[in-house]
Amino acid sequence: MIKTISRLRYKYWPDHMVGEVLQKPWMETVVPLAVLVFTIAFFSFQIDNFISTANLSDIFRQASELGFVVLGISIVLIVGGIDLSVASIFALCNLLVLYCMHVWQLPLAASVGITLLGGALLGSVNGILIGYFRMRAFLTTMVTLIVFKSIHDLINVKVAMPISSSFPDSPMWDRMGYGSILSVPTAVWAFGVVALFCHILLTRLRPGWWLLAVGGNRRSAYNIGLPVNRIVALSYVASGALAGASAIFYAARLASPGADTGSGLEITVLTAAILGGIRLGGGKGSVMKAILGTLIILLLTNGLLRMATPAGTSRIILATILLLAAALDIRWFKNRHKAVQELYVSPAYLDLPRLPEDVAAPNSAYAPNDRLREVETIGLGEVEAPEDVILDNDDNLYCGNRHGEVIRFFAPDYKRHEVYARIGGQPLGMAFDAGGTLYVCVGGMGLYRVTAEREVELVTDETNRSFLSVIDDSRLKLADDLDILPDGRILFSEATVRYEMHEWQTDALEGRGNGRIIMYDPKTQKTTTALRKLIFPNGIVLGSDGQSILFAESWNCSIKRYWFDGPKEGEVEVVIANLPGYPDNINVASDGNYWLAIMGMRSQVFDLAMRKPGFRRRMAKQLPGDEWLAPNINTGCIVKFNEAGEILDVLWDMQGENHPMITSMREHKGYLYIGGISNNRIGRIKLDGVDETFVSSGKYHVG
Amino acid sequence: MAWMKPLFQVENTMLDSLLSWIGSRGNTRGKSLSISVFDGALKPNNLLEEADTLVENAGFSDLVVGAENRLLAACGTAVVEISTAGDLIDVAQFGEAVTALTELADGRLAVGLGDKVVIGAGTGTETTVDTVADRKLTAVTALYAAPDGRLLVCDGSRSYGCEDWAWDLMGKKRDGRLIAIDPKGGDAQVLASGLGYAFGAFASDETGVLVSETWNHRVSQMSDKGVRPAIDRLPGYPSRFAPAPNGGFWLSLFCSRTQLVEFVLKEDDYRSEMMETIDPRYWISPSFGSGKDYLEPLQGGGVKQMGILKPWAPPRSYGLLVRFDANLAPQYSLHSRVGGKNHGICAVAQVGDTLYALAKGSGRILKISIPKTRATLFGEDAA
Repeated sequence: MIKTISRLRYKYWPDHMVGEVLQKPWMETVVPLAVLVFTIAFFSFQIDNFISTANLSDIFRQASELGFVVLGISIVLIVGGIDLSVASIFALCNLLVLYCMHVWQLPLAASVGITLLGGALLGSVNGILIGYFRMRAFLTTMVTLIVFKSIHDLINVKVAMPISSSFPDSPMWDRMGYGSILSVPTAVWAFGVVALFCHILLTRLRPGWWLLAVGGNRRSAYNIGLPVNRIVALSYVASGALAGASAIFYAARLASPGADTGSGLEITVLTAAILGGIRLGGGKGSVMKAILGTLIILLLTNGLLRMATPAGTSRIILATILLLAAALDIRWFKNRHKAVQELYVSPAYLDLPRLPEDVAAPNSAYAPNDRLREVETIGLGEVEAPEDVILDNDDNLYCGNRHGEVIRFFAPDYKRHEVYARIGGQPLGMAFDAGGTLYVCVGGMGLYRVTAEREVELVTDETNRSFLSVIDDSRLKLADDLDILPDGRILFSEATVRYEMHEWQTDALEGRGNGRIIMYDPKTQKTTTALRKLIFPNGIVLGSDGQSILFAESWNCSIKRYWFDGPKEGEVEVVIANLPGYPDNINVASDGNYWLAIMGMRSQVFDLAMRKPGFRRRMAKQLPGDEWLAPNINTGCIVKFNEAGEILDVLWDMQGENHPMITSMREHKGYLYIGGISNNRIGRIKLDGVDETFVSSGKYHVG
Repeated sequence: MAWMKPLFQVENTMLDSLLSWIGSRGNTRGKSLSISVFDGALKPNNLLEEADTLVENAGFSDLVVGAENRLLAACGTAVVEISTAGDLIDVAQFGEAVTALTELADGRLAVGLGDKVVIGAGTGTETTVDTVADRKLTAVTALYAAPDGRLLVCDGSRSYGCEDWAWDLMGKKRDGRLIAIDPKGGDAQVLASGLGYAFGAFASDETGVLVSETWNHRVSQMSDKGVRPAIDRLPGYPSRFAPAPNGGFWLSLFCSRTQLVEFVLKEDDYRSEMMETIDPRYWISPSFGSGKDYLEPLQGGGVKQMGILKPWAPPRSYGLLVRFDANLAPQYSLHSRVGGKNHGICAVAQVGDTLYALAKGSGRILKISIPKTRATLFGEDAA
């Protein structure tokens, strides 16, 4: 009873989503978001009408004004600097716009323009000193803070009277100050537009990426040729301009040339930025964080004010919350990847049929022998990780290696070799089309082809994103094997969407249906996912009817058939259900049957572990990867089977001396060529009594 | 003698247990799973793998030096003498497999036959002991002739014979006993019980009576207050002892530890189903020898890359032999690393300058020159 419940729980509860959600980049902001939600909740309990339209409207208006400055200082923080002078720039711009509107009675647009320009100019003083003269940001902006404040105090004495004694004649001005559009305050609209623009700039436009690059590592940014000085200077200009924008809305609302305008603003703004989670060290930050920080600060000050807390206590509370929030955020920032690591591996319940008792018996279909002991080696020690091998019509041998190259060995003795093409990644399954173009599945990159002129071209590296998947599965993580169909389309397998190629052991431990089979149509150049939720689909080969493919599901130890055409299109049936090992590549044999590489043998202990997801999850958490149970890929064999699922022949190397690990084999003109992804050699064995003119690839055109 | 404090200090075991208990609650990362590393005197080498083979026979199970430096071994159901050339000469035949062997000071043989001890077989004064303190002997794993004339007997388990040691380990049993038998009268006295599988005993004037507690990875020492750990947190499963000149001794360890085994020992559901449904040869447990059968479990680090099995991969079997001095401090060690054949060292004997070690994983008795070993490890002068 408990076992059934446990089995159902592991089958249907989507606990793989926890880890997947955690590794999303936007999860970084989860701490400030939590603080914000907590603040709102707390104050709405304590104060009546905290969440009323009037109150919120007022809060959002103030938040927008503050938000402009926070945006500005965020940009400076992202670049790795700091701007303390925003308070004085704010005060000076306040005076400037009030003078323009009240005294000179300029039209609104001109006043706004002049003020923004004024703010930018003031910011450029910082920018030139810090960006071009390489002065220290903290010291310089502190000095400009004091200097600009002094200028403000000097000017204020003179202009305060003229400003207070006249009024601007501009309904738009009043609208900006305390009006609304569609019952949302004007300031909020303006801030929304600017914030959206900044978000798009930071995340999707090149100048924004340059900002993040300079902040992340200034030396590297310089080395790749970015104009670092200009970028830093411009960020201070932006900060000044945004402080000016904030001053405009402040002036429109209050029309007050007060002596202490903007005093203490730099502290509030820095607090908001840090509360939102923007690192002081630079290189990380987002508009969302700035907004969250602003909202938290404003809600806190507003709420504490409404609760009639004395000013000192209010500041102490603010400071304490800042400390706690900052500490929590730093902890989360540093440890999120650890949480992801712990929670990402979500083993599933995989109940394989029991291994037949007599698999290793001498008279069983899989009886071990030593037929691979006599394998000749090609390229021993010269090639590393040849996962798949293929030969062309001239008998030259091609294989991939783990340095991202396709290597060609020259017929007839295969003693000379050269780099045929350099693709990158790890070339896995290969197939020739009728024109001599080599199609290669490259692990970590996608489906590529090498033309007969040795040009490397991308065929496809993305497919349609599935709607309900948290992971962005439109990218191809592990394209494994392919086959070219008679109508020119290509079907290829993607072994897993949750793990990279070097993490295949973790996928084996999960045993979850993370893989899929993908169809590429060269006529429309569209890539679509044909089959989902397969357990590490690996080898693919065209069936004899030309309407279906046989494919291997490695951890499921089975071979299945999928109809891509004809009356049975879309159906899947099992061909062999209970292999004694993990199947890898499948290729055709000269007599119409199929060769199958079994890359590793099943063991009872591992099969038992696949029925105990909790055991595997605890193992993944408590033990390092080297200590986990792993599928035994140190021993493999080659199996010949027919479409009815009967085993016709088996070739082993029991000692594992000559050919330790097998992932693929290819029959060509009377010989069987063997590849293995953990090997440093290719094997070749003579087959007796087979068609010596047989070539296994290159029958169909693509397109 | 007993006042020489062992340099291998043992910490407060209560604090240790408390911390382990705390560590095992919740999903903490293995403080309770951590194992000692090979370092210092136990730094790995491949001396056992490179050693010469004296003789090879799958039936060997124990080794001892008798009078006049003759080398005696238990081989299948017989006790044989091994000549310096490696020929086996029959000394005594028994009806069951011989599991332990020693020679008493008066030249009589004492053998363990699984569930009994036979002293003086073939002479007129043959004695058989099969029950001590109302409990039958079940797994006589080791015998030792103490200098004071007593015969020390290790009875490893209450429930399983010598061949089924894996059941005792994975069942988390702690039923080992150390027994002292008076060879003249035949009366037996239990020196210690509740041991984690007694697999070797030793006694000398300098060290006192030592017993190896295999499942607890330690060597315990008998004192007036009972048994207490003397060499703790060994990185392997200690087995039998052999005396060495100057009061020290050799300790053989038949396998080294891996975190996976410690983990499985904590996982009751998985472990019980594994024990019920799978052949013990294929359990997640240490082994005397491995690498021939592809049905054995494999750990991630044991996957071959470019045809090479890395020597520091998690071991299913290992060869380890450590030389201790009279203060119970390790001096140096000989290893056969992962991927080697000479694993499962469970008996050792020193004759003059030559060391003989029994590697049960390969069925070989290895012959090692001690001066050459010391020269390799410490430089030419130390030999």
